[in-house]
Order: sequence, then structure tokens, then C-alpha cells
Amino acid sequence: MRHNPKKILLRIFELLIIFIWVFPLIWMVITSLKLEQDVITKTFTFWPRNPTFANYTKAFTSTYILNWMGNSFIVSLGAMLITLVVDAPIAYAFAKIKFRGRNVLFWAVMGGMMVPFQVLIVPLYLQFNSYGMINTLAAALLPRVALPIGIFILKQFYEGIPIDLEEAAFIDGSSRYRIFSKIILPLGQSAMATVIILSFINAWNDFLWPLIVINDTIKYTITVGIANFQGTHGTQYSLIMAGAAVASIPQILFYIFFRKKIIAGIATSGLKG
Amino acid sequence: MIPGNKDTRDGIVFSIPFLFVYLAFMIYPLLSGLYISFFKWDILSSANFIGFTNYKTLFTDEKFYTSLWHTFEFVLMTTPTLLVVGFLMALAVTGTSPYKGILENIFFFPYIFSMTVVSTLWAWLMQKDWGVFNQALMHINLQPVSWLTNENLAMWSVGLTTLWWTAGFNMVLFSAGIKQIPKEVYESAAIDGATYLQSVRHITIPLVRSTTVLCLILQIIASFNVFGQVYVMTGGGPHGTTRVLVQYIYETGFRYYKMGYSAAMSYILFLIILGVSVLQYALLGRKDQ
Repeated sequence: MRHNPKKILLRIFELLIIFIWVFPLIWMVITSLKLEQDVITKTFTFWPRNPTFANYTKAFTSTYILNWMGNSFIVSLGAMLITLVVDAPIAYAFAKIKFRGRNVLFWAVMGGMMVPFQVLIVPLYLQFNSYGMINTLAAALLPRVALPIGIFILKQFYEGIPIDLEEAAFIDGSSRYRIFSKIILPLGQSAMATVIILSFINAWNDFLWPLIVINDTIKYTITVGIANFQGTHGTQYSLIMAGAAVASIPQILFYIFFRKKIIAGIATSGLKG
Repeated sequence: MIPGNKDTRDGIVFSIPFLFVYLAFMIYPLLSGLYISFFKWDILSSANFIGFTNYKTLFTDEKFYTSLWHTFEFVLMTTPTLLVVGFLMALAVTGTSPYKGILENIFFFPYIFSMTVVSTLWAWLMQKDWGVFNQALMHINLQPVSWLTNENLAMWSVGLTTLWWTAGFNMVLFSAGIKQIPKEVYESAAIDGATYLQSVRHITIPLVRSTTVLCLILQIIASFNVFGQVYVMTGGGPHGTTRVLVQYIYETGFRYYKMGYSAAMSYILFLIILGVSVLQYALLGRKDQ
């Protein structure tokens, strides 16, 4: 079996696919290490002639990339925290409290997942315009806090928590609020982690809304900033690639630490960017 | 056991925080968007009620039709390819290859990058004069290709970028589906002499049907909403041949400040996507029976 030529061919094919699939990312790094004149040149070379970190230095010093990443952190963290604060209690209510109108309310909330964000951009813009909040990070993050999919994930998990635990606590005289904070929240940590990751990524990758609501270059989020790189730095491809590489560091770290959670989150929720 | 008389009060109290943001940032804009779509409004001056005029104009607006068509084009290009590639990836990573762990990571990895990073990176790879794709073509004495500046090719190039970026997402869904198929089914098929391709065709494909439906619907919705890749890579060009509906909505609203008209168009897009979602429930519902 070991020397089956068909299998060897298949392995070679797989290695080739692996190379093709990572190549764009390798090329991003290689380009970012090249000098400008070695990128736009008639004498193309694959490897950098004079490997340099100059583009990275330049990206940090002569662009707003650190501001943009900071802005994206504020927006994503803010969206994530508010999402947790509002999603967890209602998910608990849907899972464990038999109140009137629960089913109707649940479907009204889940129906929100079908609304494409594009439908909301004009009215949201006018809404934030009337509050005088255009060009603020708060405006960039607030429309991202109502995340029905987060409720769905948490509700599924909370439903699996045995009712006996709650009943025992009720007999001891605990209130709903105590049960929620002392029993449900600690037990639901893993589902919470999934929601944290999904809402963070969701907000971090947001593009259309910050593009609309933020005007000042220094207040851009990283996605808008990188998109505007091409406009402002034209053909400085090695600088653009250095910027793109720096902008991806948080996601790469995120992937390394939470790979399993991210994949499990997608497999259970089908959240699509 | 649990005292029932407080359930309604507790239910409402626990729901209030979410309902507040949901009303403020979903329900209210959704309704006010519909309202605005009946007005002629450029923000600076006051709004004029014009009834269904925006919707009527829309049906005679050539740019609207071409943008809608480009969106359909993108949906038709990307949906089948992303499903098939995602499925093939899932077969590879659930198979017996010693590289399946690496393959799974490599296939999924591009998905974590943000759309703008992916788009600027691929715009550079496909750059006409200095991009590595054309450098490679010229190296083997072929003509360079105008990936993003040829009217017939630009949308395919954006589609290829999207394939690289998100096929791994479909792979995750498909491989979750494949892993649920009991091993015994394959073992007994192998005993009966089924080849690999036969067991894929007669076992895997029929048994992941519900995953396929889910992927299909998610993919269609995602493709209908395409904007960022096109906006960054081609800007809608060359000559508007890749301008998609969301871009036209964006430009109408925020470059020409025709708020009412933009809102009306976004409602048409909403109706189309709603139609697709209804189809989803029709299909999934039939499966459950």
C-alpha cells in the first residue's frame, strides 16, 4: 500500500493545493519585505533582493494604521460587550422562563437575521445624523450590537442546563436574577465564548457601515483604512502589503488561540460574513 | 415548582435590554427606511412626499437593472463553484490523507482575514503590469491577462478572490455534515465492493443534503449582498461592468444623496433576499416531512 503510485500522486496533488492556497499570503509577506523599486521593475525577482522592514516602519510612522487598529478594537470590544449584556438575559428568558408571548417574540427576534444590513444604511445614517453622532466610533458600533444569532446560540446552550439546578435554588429562596448570575452565566461560559468570538469578528470585519458613518481618516476602522490605502498610496504595493499584514495580526492571533471555537461556532450557527 | 406568577414579569425584564437595542437599531430603521422610500430627500433640504415615484423611477433606471444583473451574475458565478469546492475540501479533510489536518487549516485560514485585506491582496496579485500572476504568465511566454480591467473577466476575478476567501466556510459546514454520517454505512458499502467515488455519490452526497441546502441558501444570501470585494478591487469598473446593487445603493445614497431613492432600492433587494429565505423554509420544510 505504501508505494501505491496513485496514492503518491494524490499526496503530491494535495501538497500542490496546499501551496496554491497559502501562496497569496506568502506573496503578501514577500512583497512587504521588498523595496519599492524592486516591486515595480522590469526585472522581476521572486525573493526580495534586499529584504527590508522599511515598509513596516513606514506603515507605522507615516500612516494612521495604529489609530485604525485602535479604533477597530474600540468598536469590536464595545459591540461585543453590549452584545453580551443584552443577548444573555433574553436568551435565558427564551430558554427557561415561560412568559406570555415568548414564541412570538422569539420569532420576531430571529426574523431580524433575514434583514440585510444594506436596508438599514440610509435610515440609520439619518438617525445618527439627527443625533449629531456622524463621524463617531459610537455610531460605528451601535448598529452592530443587536446580534440575533448570539441569542440563538446562548438559548440552545441554556436549554441544556438541567432545570433541577434552578429548582433547588428557587427552594433556597433565590431570585431569578441570582439564579441567572450565579448558575446560568457561569455554566454557559463556553457558549458565551462562541458569542464573544463571533460578535468580535463580525464587528472587526464590518466595512460598509464604518465607510458610511466615519469621515475623518484618523477615525477610520482598519477595514476602511486598508481599503483607502490604494487611493492614498497608489502604487506603493510593498507599503500596502505591509499594512495589510499588520492589519491581519489580530485575526491571526485570534485564530491561533480560538481555532476550535471559531470553527465550532460556524458549524453550529452558519454565520456568514 | 417554579412560582409561575412572576414568569411574565421576569420574562419581560430579562428581554428589555435586547429589545431596546433591537427596536432602536433594527425595527425603527427598518420602518423609517420604508417611510423614507416614499420621499424625495437629499438631507440638506426638507423631504418631499412623492408616493411611489421612487419605485416607478427604479423600473425605468437602466443603472438599476445593470447593477441588479451584475449581482445576479455574481450569485450565479459564485454559488455553484463555492458549494462544489467547499464540498471537495470537506471530502479531503474528512478522508484518510495524512495531510488532512494541514489541509483543513489552510483551507479555512483565508476566511479569518478581513474582506479589505483579501481584496487589496488579490488586487495586487492580479495587477496588470507588476502582479505575480502576470509575471508568471510572461515567464512561460504567455500573454499577460487584464484580470480586473477586462470587462468580460473582472467579475470572474472578483469571484475567484471570493472563492479563495470563503470556500473554507462552506468546508466547515460540509465536514460537520459528513462527520455525522455513521462509519458503518461506508464500511458495509466497501464490503459490497463500492469504489470511493461510488460511496461519495450514493452515500455522502444524499446524506449531506440538508447541509447542502443550508450552504446553498447562506451562499446565495451572502452573494446577493456582495459589495466590499467589488468596491475595493474594481470600484465597479471597468465602465460599470462590475457595479453591483449594493454599490449602486451606496452611491445613490452617499455620493448623490438621493436618500429616498436609495432606500427604495434597498427595499427591492430586501424583497429578493426575503424571497430566497422563504424558499429556504419551503425546501427545509419539505425535507422534514
